[in-house]
Amino acid sequence: MALTEGESHGYAIMQAVESSSAGIVRMGPATLYGTLKRLVDDGLAEELAHRPVPDDDKRRRYYRLTGLGQRVCAAEAERLGRLLRITRSNLRPGLA
Amino acid sequence: MSAPHPVYRSLIRLYPRSFRGHYGDELVEHFADMVTDRGARAAWTRTAVDLLVTVPRYRLESIMNERHSATTLNIAISLLVGGGIVSMLIGIYPGLVLVVAALAIAFAQRSTLARAIRIPNSDLRLRRLGVAGVLTLVFVVSYLTYSLLIGDHWTIRESLLAGVGTLAMAGAIVFLIAGLLTPRGPVDRPVTPIG
Repeated sequence: MALTEGESHGYAIMQAVESSSAGIVRMGPATLYGTLKRLVDDGLAEELAHRPVPDDDKRRRYYRLTGLGQRVCAAEAERLGRLLRITRSNLRPGLA
Repeated sequence: MSAPHPVYRSLIRLYPRSFRGHYGDELVEHFADMVTDRGARAAWTRTAVDLLVTVPRYRLESIMNERHSATTLNIAISLLVGGGIVSMLIGIYPGLVLVVAALAIAFAQRSTLARAIRIPNSDLRLRRLGVAGVLTLVFVVSYLTYSLLIGDHWTIRESLLAGVGTLAMAGAIVFLIAGLLTPRGPVDRPVTPIG
């Protein structure tokens, strides 16, 4: 989800995840890069060949969602939205 | 731009080679950014938990993904071939089915086996085929000696020859399959060492 806003490097992705989840999701470095590796391996994200910020540290790699990754992201958001609607509609009155 | 952080850089060596080779520098850079932004204590607290969780997980994934599955397959193939040959040697000829099953598994799972044996060494194919040839020779010599020596009674010497011959034949088949599945040319596996 953090990559839907565009290309980004690992540290910025971690900050975006923390910010968008109001600090609930806190990723360590290896957790983050392990997740990115899986996304890249599955064809959902890709490393950029060029560096959007030329003066940035050379060790930083930038990532972005592929077309497939964007479609999967939208489908997952839709699925979770439906699940939430179903759950809410089946909750006992007073709990919703 | 950032400090070298030798302690964290050393700890990264706990990760599987492929992971640390690709992401090692980024991990250190990431850690350095965390230290700059949040202080060493907060960075280490989060990173320590991260290390405890991810090192065993990535190690396990690495083992399960390639080597483990290939090793399990190799053991299964060796056992089937060995069992089949032993069965045939003692007169149970349907044991041939086990050898055929082993070959079927090897060819059906050749991509898994091939991934594990694609070590960047162009001579590996020839070496494996060479080992298969030597083991076949050992098998033939053992079998001929066994045929010449065998008498009315089964002795320790004959048991040893039969055992050596069986192991050699099983090994020859496994090395032959491994050799045939090894790519002919050199295979590059880019690994960028850190440190």
